[in-house]
Amino acid sequence: MADQEPTMTGDIRMLRRGRETHRHSLELLEGEGALREITIEGEELTIGRSADTNFRLSSKRASRLHAFFRVRGTDCILRDNDSHNGVYLNGLKVYSAVLREGDVIQVADSVFVYHEE
Amino acid sequence: MPAFVKFWGTRGSIPTPASWTRVYGGNTPCVEVRFDNTLFICDAGSGIRELGKDLLTRQPAPKELHLLITHTHWDHIQGFPFFAPVYAKNMPVHVYGRQAQDNSTYQLLSGQMSSDYFPVSFKEIGHSISADFFQDGQREIDGVIVRSFALNHPGGCFGYSFEKDGRKIVYATDNELEIKPGEVFPDMEDTGPPRHMPSSLLEVARDASLLIMDAQYDEREYQTKQTWGHSCCFSVTDFATQANVGTLALFHHDPESTDTQIDAKVQACRLRAARHGANLVICAAREGVELKF
Repeated sequence: MADQEPTMTGDIRMLRRGRETHRHSLELLEGEGALREITIEGEELTIGRSADTNFRLSSKRASRLHAFFRVRGTDCILRDNDSHNGVYLNGLKVYSAVLREGDVIQVADSVFVYHEE
Repeated sequence: MPAFVKFWGTRGSIPTPASWTRVYGGNTPCVEVRFDNTLFICDAGSGIRELGKDLLTRQPAPKELHLLITHTHWDHIQGFPFFAPVYAKNMPVHVYGRQAQDNSTYQLLSGQMSSDYFPVSFKEIGHSISADFFQDGQREIDGVIVRSFALNHPGGCFGYSFEKDGRKIVYATDNELEIKPGEVFPDMEDTGPPRHMPSSLLEVARDASLLIMDAQYDEREYQTKQTWGHSCCFSVTDFATQANVGTLALFHHDPESTDTQIDAKVQACRLRAARHGANLVICAAREGVELKF
């Protein structure tokens, strides 16, 4: 009988707490500067040619505020800011998209791979 | 003004939440088509639930919604009882029939909310919903020309096209483009010539900015599923090529199709279109993706 007793006790919410945490990041594959990983901190990361953006591009193909990444719940959403050259998701021009692990995003001349943990 | 199209449900037949449907999504058909602040909803599959929640947060909120149901098979209406705006009561919903006095779609939507199937009575939301109709398959709504057209599906089905300011969006799901005698099928190696397509349907889709079309099967799958009312992706690719559309979105993904298999289907269709000299963008409709035309 002892073999059938539960081996774990405690609040299941504590045991599963890691599931509430989501980390969103972009791996720069091609573009300006060294290849690196950019973590999307807080609720939004902006990208564009303006000095006000969180991730600045110097390419003339980039608009001033070209696009942004927004965290909503456990999802990360890519949104074009009505830029001149648009944003591409896995080669398709999109206006907005809920991102998934491994998605390839192109903004101007920069190419990123999206990761979620 | 540009047209926006957002996919809220892309799966056929039955909701399919699974790790292997995470990219393209598991919700059944629901597509938002928006011109300025005029909002059309194509089908009320399970994807309409998330759309409803999103609509309630929008600023400015749409003044009214135009719901176009292709047919009343379950996967196209099952989300309606969970569509929050009809309970909010400040966002009128127009449900369209094919002809004047045709309120059969309205009746079937209300029928699935009888107490045998759902705890909330249609009477409680009925005042938010009005039965409207097309006249000879056409209607102008806020300057958008909306046309309905017949599709080939057991029990009948209708597609819809939306046109304004040179933008044309065509929604044609649950449609079987049949293989004609003498055509190469199955074309597993993709060596055959383009297939012959119904001319009346080609005219409906001619020069569309975006064609959203049922492409549930690949060549192998379609061999055992002919007459089920869905198309194989090579036929749909040939159709889009001949109709000279700008972008083709493969739609109504099979519940058994994994994200990886859908990726492979898209790639095979791109190769076929290129082999036939088409200047055509091909993608698979993906939940949560919004396109602008």
